Amino acid sequence: MTRISLHVNGTAVERDVEPRTSLADFLRESCALTATHLGCEHGACGACTVLVDGMIARSCLKFAVMCEGREVVTLEGLADDALSDTIKQAFHESHALQCGFCTPGMLMAARDLLSRNPIPSEDQVRAALAGHICRCTGYSGIVHAIILASRRLIPVE
Amino acid sequence: MSGDAHSSGGWIGASLLRKEDARHLAGKAMFVADVRLPGLQDIAFVRSQIAHGRIVSMAKPAGAESRVFTIADFPSLHVLEAGPELDAFRQSPYPALASDKVRYVGQAMAACVAPTRALAEDLAELVQVDCSELPAVVDAIAAMSPGSARLFESWADNAYITRTISAGDLSRLKDAPIRLRRKFRMNRQATVSLETRGVVAHWDARLEELVVYLSTQGGHVMRLGLARALGLPENQIRVIAPDVGGGFGGKNRLLPEEIAVCAIALKVGHPVRWIEDRREHLLASVHCRDHHYDLIVSADSEGHLLGIEGDVHIDAGAYALWPTGSFMEASMAAGNLPGPYRIKALSVNTFTVATNKAPMGPYRGVARPGACFAIERLVDEVALHMGIEPYELRKRNLVTREEMPYNTVAGLKLDTGDYHDALDTAAAMVDIPAVRRRQAERKPGEPRIGVGFAVYTEQSGHGVVEWSKRKSRVVPGYESANVRMLPDGSVTIHVGVQNHGQGHETTLAQIAAHELSLDPSQIRIRYGDTATTPFGFGSFASRSIVFAGGAVGTTTRRLAEKIRLIGAHFLQADPKDVRIENGHVISQSGSVAFSEIALAANIRQEMLPQGMDPLLDMTGTYEPTESAGVFSYGTHAVVVEVDEATGGVKILDYAVSEDCGTMINPMIVDGQVQGGISQGIGTGLYEEIPFNAEGQPLATTFADYMMPCATEIPTVRIAHSVTPAKVTEYGVKGVGEGGAIAPPAALANAVADAFRDCKASFNETPLTPRRVWDAVQIARAGAAS
Ligand code: FES
Ligand code: FES
Repeated sequence: MTRISLHVNGTAVERDVEPRTSLADFLRESCALTATHLGCEHGACGACTVLVDGMIARSCLKFAVMCEGREVVTLEGLADDALSDTIKQAFHESHALQCGFCTPGMLMAARDLLSRNPIPSEDQVRAALAGHICRCTGYSGIVHAIILASRRLIPVE
Repeated sequence: MSGDAHSSGGWIGASLLRKEDARHLAGKAMFVADVRLPGLQDIAFVRSQIAHGRIVSMAKPAGAESRVFTIADFPSLHVLEAGPELDAFRQSPYPALASDKVRYVGQAMAACVAPTRALAEDLAELVQVDCSELPAVVDAIAAMSPGSARLFESWADNAYITRTISAGDLSRLKDAPIRLRRKFRMNRQATVSLETRGVVAHWDARLEELVVYLSTQGGHVMRLGLARALGLPENQIRVIAPDVGGGFGGKNRLLPEEIAVCAIALKVGHPVRWIEDRREHLLASVHCRDHHYDLIVSADSEGHLLGIEGDVHIDAGAYALWPTGSFMEASMAAGNLPGPYRIKALSVNTFTVATNKAPMGPYRGVARPGACFAIERLVDEVALHMGIEPYELRKRNLVTREEMPYNTVAGLKLDTGDYHDALDTAAAMVDIPAVRRRQAERKPGEPRIGVGFAVYTEQSGHGVVEWSKRKSRVVPGYESANVRMLPDGSVTIHVGVQNHGQGHETTLAQIAAHELSLDPSQIRIRYGDTATTPFGFGSFASRSIVFAGGAVGTTTRRLAEKIRLIGAHFLQADPKDVRIENGHVISQSGSVAFSEIALAANIRQEMLPQGMDPLLDMTGTYEPTESAGVFSYGTHAVVVEVDEATGGVKILDYAVSEDCGTMINPMIVDGQVQGGISQGIGTGLYEEIPFNAEGQPLATTFADYMMPCATEIPTVRIAHSVTPAKVTEYGVKGVGEGGAIAPPAALANAVADAFRDCKASFNETPLTPRRVWDAVQIARAGAAS
């Protein structure tokens, strides 16, 4: 066991973890933060996407011990985030989710894209989602939602 | 949004935004892996490394004997009989953990319990397994040759069942002016719900029952299977399906791991959990598709299709899954080969074959993607042979609206609709002349483009007649609903279907809102718990909106009638002079709110009409007035670009014209169509689990199992027409599967169209760059020689 301390959703957390424990398992099992989903555990589906020091990261591919001293944010930590709220509302209105399993990762990817590129083209949106699997929707609702959110975020001149 | 929908004429047909979204968007959904119980421990399975072998020994690691389980630890566990109730269907006993033999790579042999999954996997690595390897059966056609190794020694050959389906006058076929023979193959794949399978089970000592959290499409039926396997009465098992992250058929069978986890829970006295990982999913969850066709199509000189003859092999894997196995694949494949065409003769030998691969189960579309691929490719091959537009050949053969209802030669009764209109609309959407112009203007070195069509039908809402004809062990001929108005006038409806992404919390509330003239926000739909919901079969086979929609509609209607009677009594009016509106019963002189009526019915019985039973609580079942099924249908049209140098296929445009009868929520219908097509494109272009000669699967991660992402799947253009069904409530038909049926056929036809000049044939899915390139080289070599 290794003792780590980090911030999770703004709160200081100190825990003993096995060095082999992934950040995803740490968040889900040790911190009871189950919004972070596991669809593959090998970095291919994006369902486990979280923020580490403000950058999106696949929590299944990171060990918890690698996050010593870092700021980790999960979907639970974005409950009062205005950008996320706009994206979530757009997801709702665009029927961007069916079973909802991919949704937390998709929201994370969407937020990351719009915070870097507030007016993405459809191709850019699709490219930003290229590492995220949704088995249910066929992506069009998700793409639509991100473009809708982007429009709402840009002040009209 | 809701206000608009209401004022524009009721809740049926309103694109109401979904009630289920909020919890998912907030990260507050609860899937099986999210269930937390004190003392929970994880299970990891030891799985077979070989495809076929006899187990010589299994040794538990010293000191860990009490945490490692083999089948020997469960002497009283029953093996479920699975497959249709047909004597000709051979039994393939599938124990919860392998007993004497292993029959596919990945078959569960032992289960290890530890505080975390990682520790359980550590333990699993220490289990010593000794097997003597047997020859693997990997090719479904070769498996039927007399010399083949056999999976089950007591069987005379490797077929679960062999059947010939023959109908119509076959004598005209052999002299037909056009006779084309083609072989088609739709390869094996997985269902790939993004949430894998999962079970959490524990014994509740107070209630004396086994509580099973299960990611399933139908908890009641699974409880029946678990009860029989475990030898427990059903009233001591509670199955809870919380949020279910997709199923697509794969979660509609009871798999051995699920039984094993429950058996372990009964033994160890603390909660246990198994969450399938992706590798386990690709190895050992339900496999699907894997159809082989060898067919001859006959046509007259004007291109009228006369008949289809040939063989269909279904590679069904090592065991039949409870309850019904995969026997429907073969009969549905054969039965759907004539499509919605005026084909008058059919003779197909079907072989459902056991191989050393994970067992086959249902997947969105069940058998029809394969059948559609075969017939729609044949149509294009006849058109190519005759030198006419495939669209034109379809027009010559499609059943017309005037011929409805039409009994196909295979005995399917196409009930309502205008198939020609769907084809014409799709053709107009992709603009065939424009594609032909672009093809003519193509300069050497530019990518080729092609346009392809596929017509499909989607049987839904089929009940007793159809399922008993198929000799199904479980006959899902009805659904049920319990509708309750609580003392404050709010409504809770419990249903036996299982939402796993379809939006039932929204659509079923819309139906109840329509019947009660109440806002859907006042109505809550509950499901997924055998302790609280009436018996139902769950969600599969595009049945939920027909059956559960009907059950909710008819039962709520009866409740509304009682509310009206009480209201009339309150208003001292003749019941025929009152109506229900906006949460009130209204007469000419006054109105009374549902809340007052509900209060009386529940807690102030003395206020009710003389002799009336208290409570506003009704349970009803529903089946359509005819149970042969209602058919949704449509045409898919796709334009592709093909890179000749690589064989890579890119979709430029995808259009659908479809008719699923009355739409309760058009937004959700569009979601089903787009999502289904996405899966169909996966089948058509990307997804495949190949096996080597030793029976080793070659795609067990997303690195080698190709999943389509947002860069591969276009936004589909959808045109609807609405021909209400005659035998269902509101005229609805199912819509869950249609999207997944036609894409492989439409895509292959489009790629073939791009290479019309060399007559290359694209008859195997997925159309990987390699397969496309190979087909072109073969055609060119053939033309040159
Ligand atoms: S679970 Fe991490 S990428 Fe799939
Ligand atoms: S909504 Fe089910 S995986 Fe995306």
